[in-house]
Amino acid sequence: MSVLRLAFKSVVSRKARLFLTSLAVILGTSFLAGATIFTDTLNKTFDTLFAEVFEEVDGFVRSTDVIETDFGGEERARIPIAYVDRITSVPGVADAQGFIQTFARIVGKDGTPLGSEGNGPPTFGGTFNTGEIALWAVSEGRAPTNGTEVILDEASAEDGKYVIGDTVKITAAAGSREFTMVGIANYGDVSSPGGATFALFDDITAMDFLTQPGLVDAILVAGDATVSNTALADAIQAQFGPQDRVETLTGDEITKETQDQIGAALDFLGTFLKIFSYIALGVAAFVIYNVFSISAAQRERENALMRAVGASKKQIRRIVLLEALVIGVVGSALGILAGIGISRGLSAMLKAFGVDLPSKGLTITSAAITGTLQIGIIVTLVSAYFPARAAGKVPPLAAMRATALETIGSMRTRLIVGFTPLLVGIGVVLAVVGGLGAVWLGLAILLVFSGVLILGPVTSRPLAMAIGAPIAKVRGVTGEMARQNAARNPKRTARTAAPVLIGVALVTAVTALAASLRAEVRDIVGEQFRGDYVVSVTSQGFGGLSPLLVDDINEVEGVANATAIGYTPVLVNTKSALTTVVDPATTEGLFELTMLEGELSSLDATGILVEKDKAERESWTIGSDVPLKLSDGTEVAAKVQGIYDSNDFVANTVVSRRLFEGTGVTRFDQQIYIEVEEGADSATVEAALDAAIAEYGNGKVQSRDEFIDEQANQVNQLLGLIYGLLALSVIIAAVGIVITLLLSVYERRRELGLLRAVGMTRSQVRTSVRWESVITSLIGAVAGVILGLGLGFVIILSLADEGLSNYAFPVGGIISILILSFVVGVLASVYPAYRATRVDILDAITTT
Amino acid sequence: MSSETPTLTVAAASVHASKIYGKGDSEVRALDDVTVEFHDGEFTAIMGPSGSGKSTLMHCVAGLDELTSGSVLIAGTDLSTLSDKELTVLRRDQVGFIFQSFNLVPTLNAYENITLPLALGGKKPNRDWVDKVVATVGLGDRLKHRPSELSGGQQQRVAVARALANEPHIVFADEPTGNLDSKTGHQILDFMRKAVDELGQTIVMVTHDPVAASIADRIIFLADGKVVDEMREPTPEKVLDRMKRFGE
Repeated sequence: MSVLRLAFKSVVSRKARLFLTSLAVILGTSFLAGATIFTDTLNKTFDTLFAEVFEEVDGFVRSTDVIETDFGGEERARIPIAYVDRITSVPGVADAQGFIQTFARIVGKDGTPLGSEGNGPPTFGGTFNTGEIALWAVSEGRAPTNGTEVILDEASAEDGKYVIGDTVKITAAAGSREFTMVGIANYGDVSSPGGATFALFDDITAMDFLTQPGLVDAILVAGDATVSNTALADAIQAQFGPQDRVETLTGDEITKETQDQIGAALDFLGTFLKIFSYIALGVAAFVIYNVFSISAAQRERENALMRAVGASKKQIRRIVLLEALVIGVVGSALGILAGIGISRGLSAMLKAFGVDLPSKGLTITSAAITGTLQIGIIVTLVSAYFPARAAGKVPPLAAMRATALETIGSMRTRLIVGFTPLLVGIGVVLAVVGGLGAVWLGLAILLVFSGVLILGPVTSRPLAMAIGAPIAKVRGVTGEMARQNAARNPKRTARTAAPVLIGVALVTAVTALAASLRAEVRDIVGEQFRGDYVVSVTSQGFGGLSPLLVDDINEVEGVANATAIGYTPVLVNTKSALTTVVDPATTEGLFELTMLEGELSSLDATGILVEKDKAERESWTIGSDVPLKLSDGTEVAAKVQGIYDSNDFVANTVVSRRLFEGTGVTRFDQQIYIEVEEGADSATVEAALDAAIAEYGNGKVQSRDEFIDEQANQVNQLLGLIYGLLALSVIIAAVGIVITLLLSVYERRRELGLLRAVGMTRSQVRTSVRWESVITSLIGAVAGVILGLGLGFVIILSLADEGLSNYAFPVGGIISILILSFVVGVLASVYPAYRATRVDILDAITTT
Repeated sequence: MSSETPTLTVAAASVHASKIYGKGDSEVRALDDVTVEFHDGEFTAIMGPSGSGKSTLMHCVAGLDELTSGSVLIAGTDLSTLSDKELTVLRRDQVGFIFQSFNLVPTLNAYENITLPLALGGKKPNRDWVDKVVATVGLGDRLKHRPSELSGGQQQRVAVARALANEPHIVFADEPTGNLDSKTGHQILDFMRKAVDELGQTIVMVTHDPVAASIADRIIFLADGKVVDEMREPTPEKVLDRMKRFGE
């Protein structure tokens, strides 16, 4: 019989073990497959969407003045609609229309804006283009034709329960206005692309309300098909000189550019998800390694017999590795299938945490399949390699031995091998604290983790005895047996606890980090903001509060002072930077900067305040010239008028809102800080503020405490997402416990039968297995919490330069983690404990 | 089967006990209408050729296996009326076991193994009794040792002590000397004999060894699932003679 057939027989004859090992591979690879499928599907959805958007557009004319912002975004200057005439005169052009797509929100009948809060799909206002290049088609009613009319996308009309003839309030940078809804528009075959909301107007109204009279975002061009798109674009571009600062893109170019932009943002998300899928895979690798090790030990006699009858070490090793190969292939293939479900789960989970991304259909690329298969097979083979080698080393004489016990090598060697990386790792951490670059931290963390994992078998026995001691006290002999069982095979216990350790360490580190961040945010927000109320935006990341709102609020009776803070991209000395925009006349007592030189209140329209470190980097001092360029192309020769200490909530440059007066920049405020007059009735003021905000349909009022709470709790959203993504690793760790317990129960069936015979009840058997599981889980949890706290501390330390100075010890979090680990232990024991109670007494005591 | 000495009380009994494996043509009657009594303070051996049903009889009477029909009584309780839990508790509190091998829990030391049934029942061991039992089997200095640190004979002695430690109503022993050399086996049999003579214990032992069986007060012979004979005051020679007749 060939080695291959032997391996195959070996796999098939042990279906239960095959299933259990495959389960670890399936879970490990499913996340990877899920993350890949999810991002591929998103990419495909957006690619298709933008390909459809610009399908009939042959040319796209826009400004060359652009300021890039974070995550591949950009702020581009607008161009005069007057260019349309020049473009239509070009031979080959059939049609040219101004195009606007910018921030606007449709206000619902109840006064609250439509669309999701947080990082949901954007809310747009724009032009309703007509003819061949129209992106939208009227599905009901008609197109808007004058300054009082609007057409809504079908999903928004439905969502807001608006029908034709209704008055609809829309809010934008220039405040809010009421329009009459004259129609409902459809976007190709969908009611709204990607869940965004759209309020569309004729071009004159769009310019007047959304941008500025005479200015549009771009001009869409349709050719008459007599010339190629490239030739058409060249001919259009020839109409403009360098002073016009415009560029002409073909339809294909603008499609590709838009796809690439969203692709860059999705890549970031993809990388984020992949990090967590690799963590899950690493945890699964440990489980696979454990299962192969246990089964190699349980098959010692069988392997020894094979050696005795003439199989070589190499052949035994090959049989185990071939078995691993089969399991790797089958497990990864099933992992890909499970990945489809995981991709749906990821989509739902991101949505729950405020990241609502449209995805259509299911995109499974061949790269996703081959990639997952490759990685799954490699991880399985690598995890099985050492157990395979150990299996080959079994001496033929072991066939005569009665019991199969895993041999434990020299503990002294292990102590030395384990302590070396642990101590070196700690040394590197101390060196980093002492000033060595933070890049060394990665290595240090890896060293510490390796050290801890190598030391596992040495420490798991004393840990099991210690953790089991109170259980044995309370539960008597069943507790004592659980304790002894958890301690009897230190290598196995260590390998089973290791995945729990990794999961718990990461969860603890993240919890510690989040707690510290929350404390930091509280400190900073509390220190920086001293007003009574805050108005903040409900649409994160896109658009914001109308700059007119703060003026209205200053008019509200009972308000002593209100100041607005915004963030706007500006080219500072040719470098793109998000700049904090303030009103120096009203900041006093509401928005404080620690000024090292100069005064915030004396900042004027052509001044700039610079953060200390940036000023040092650029060698700027008071009076230095700093050329600024705004997003509409306006150039300003500014001077440094002050230098302030670094501050997490302020960009590294600050300008006055007056800088933007009279320019074509569409700017929003993000927050308005309000101080109330002494003695004013808070209920009355709050009602008046609500009324002022309702005029604009965007923004919400919060008291100082509510605001600080909310700011601090923003950390929780990301924390929740990370917990969710780490959950699969924790589940894999739990499955690891289940598998180990099942194999242990199988191995101890005679012992269990004996115990049942001499009077152990089924519920006592269950109790014993349950506590063994809990002890194993808690070994991982206790070690994980210690490591995680250290890890969190080290990360916070390395972020000290970034201004993170708090270290909050997450007491509540640690208690929750330990309770959760306890619960994981209990749940993981359910099935193995049931199996243990089903052991046949007679079988167990009559086999010799 | 009626007793020849009416003063003896019944510790355990089977009444019209049958155990059938399989169905139809492949039906095997391991026990065929067996009615037998085991008396208080008596050492009974069950003998018979392999396949005679002697182990099955013991397993059923000890509450480790279920009958197909008929009933088993221990201390007057009909086992078929008990739930799994009640049966387990009965085995724990009223029955002692000595198996051929693998008698001990490897993670517990000798003393913990001896007191295991008591611990499972949440009872404090009766120190005097346990000391007496330990002294009887001669284990004094090895109580803190794990089974892996004990010889086969010592392990069986621990098993005997465990079977006696909870002052059971009746002790069942299944080939208790089967894995031991004859000298060690004799020691174990002596301890069991002492347990009956000095501690007043009731013991039922299954064996195929005429020498081992001859230490009993009474021997019940089984063949083809039926009780075929009974012997009192056995000697190895008498037993061997009787056993030889099974071959005919």
